[in-house]
Amino acid sequence: MKTLTRKQFGYLCMAPTLMIFLIFAIYPVFRTILLSLYRFRLQTGPTKTFIGLDNYFHMFGDSRFFNALFFTLLFTLLTVVTEVILGLIFAQLMNLPFKGRGALRVVVLIPWAIPTIVSGFMWKFMVHDQYGVFNQILQTLGIIDSFLPWLSRDTSARLVLIMSDIWKTAPYVSLLVLAGLQTIPKTLYEAAAIDGAGPIRRYFSLTLPLLKPVLATAVLFRLISSFKVFTVIVALTNGGPGYATESLTMYTMRTYFDAGNYGYGSALATFTLFVTCIIALLFTDVIRGKIDGGKRSRP
Amino acid sequence: MIKETILHKTLFYLFAIFFILTIGFPFFWQILNSFKMERDIFALTWFPSQYTVDNYVKAFTTRPLLSYLGNSFVIATFATIFSLVLGSMAAYAIARTPIKGKTPFLILVMSISLLPPIVIISPIYSIIRAMGLLNSYAGLIIVNVLFTLTVVIWFLTPYLHAVPKELEEAAEIDGASPAQAFSRIVIPLLGPGVFTVGILAFIQIWNEYLFALVLNPIRIKTVTVGLKMYESDNYMPWGTIMAAAVIIVVPLITLVLILQKRIIGGLMAGGIKE
Repeated sequence: MKTLTRKQFGYLCMAPTLMIFLIFAIYPVFRTILLSLYRFRLQTGPTKTFIGLDNYFHMFGDSRFFNALFFTLLFTLLTVVTEVILGLIFAQLMNLPFKGRGALRVVVLIPWAIPTIVSGFMWKFMVHDQYGVFNQILQTLGIIDSFLPWLSRDTSARLVLIMSDIWKTAPYVSLLVLAGLQTIPKTLYEAAAIDGAGPIRRYFSLTLPLLKPVLATAVLFRLISSFKVFTVIVALTNGGPGYATESLTMYTMRTYFDAGNYGYGSALATFTLFVTCIIALLFTDVIRGKIDGGKRSRP
Repeated sequence: MIKETILHKTLFYLFAIFFILTIGFPFFWQILNSFKMERDIFALTWFPSQYTVDNYVKAFTTRPLLSYLGNSFVIATFATIFSLVLGSMAAYAIARTPIKGKTPFLILVMSISLLPPIVIISPIYSIIRAMGLLNSYAGLIIVNVLFTLTVVIWFLTPYLHAVPKELEEAAEIDGASPAQAFSRIVIPLLGPGVFTVGILAFIQIWNEYLFALVLNPIRIKTVTVGLKMYESDNYMPWGTIMAAAVIIVVPLITLVLILQKRIIGGLMAGGIKE
């Protein structure tokens, strides 16, 4: 048997991964886009009828779609902004030279490691309208008079979902920021201090600009993963009250698997793909940097 | 100056305590309530009037929690191993061999790591059904491999860049084929990196919900899908749910606490890998 050349061996190593990507990612993406152009419902049997862009016309007249889009955008915006701000503060704290900061870094890992469905149930229990500790604390502090049914009202149900996501993800963001903070050379701060810059000035004109690449990466990944929110909603509100907390992913799931409407569901899924592409295009610098990094060794 | 230091110290610890309480409380509350009798939960007593393990017994007897755990363990273990093997091979090809098409391949890896699962879930359901793998271990293993492969490739490629080329070249001069050089020189050097990213992948698969729900709704349920099974329309056995949740989380938290340095390092490297 002839031994392989390096190049041949490289292609051989790549092949299984490429196969998996081809069958389970690339083909499905195009299949979804294609199906979005068909009328295809389980109730009417396996026949698919080509209807062009009709599913999309239907989508733009569908108030439930706009409701889901609105909630998803609201959720994405509020969670990502708050998580980045909290992440910045918390990372700064973890980077200070005090005893016990190691403990902080461990605590940060707990919400990250807990499955989303579990954290959803934890929060559901804490905001329960009869025996939720959240109500109990607020009542003891005199902030509310009587226990509130947090998950039965539109605004408060949305707020609880946003809070639970922030609780779970802000600590993780702070780790990413901390990694960025640690790459900033201390000498820069010393130089700035000699030039007479105070701590606040140093933070805004030195730390923040230097953190920009790390923050951009974090924001890109957080925007996309917040936009696909689903699991935490299943645990907490199941989309209710009414459709107040139904996200785009949840509406798509229900269109597929509850209503059996694969044509329209594919149009909704394609819309999610479209939004994801727009977000990715806003961050082409980050993506290009990552891809160049993949071809180079880490400095 | 001394006064200022004390002020800083006090501020730091106040903030630190505040953060630890906020982050830790929900988890603490979950554990505490898993040991409460139902009447204590209903009566809103903070600490149990009497500690009980009843909820833990019920967690195992009212639903097949043990088999949920077993299923999740099998799926996460095999999917982790497969993505480590395939991922380190692909990372090797990118970092160490003169193949063409590295940039398109990396763009593909990046796109898949950003791809929302909902975009591909319906075709994947059809494929897995056509393969006869609904409600099986294999179906979920394959799908989880897809999403952890991208993580493994991103994580290991820089590691492989860092392995000195001379080591491999020396082996090849001694007459080893590229495959032998890979298995004898590169794989042992990859050890620590593979271990770290393996843990990250395992945790990601253990926590996965969407595909577990869609592909295995009847048999081979995973822990995340199983937890939802404790709910019924008019009754929430909160104590039991909290006990089941503790059991699901404990393996992960133990892993995280033992290996915290590696995990933190791994997560941070994932973030700044420019």
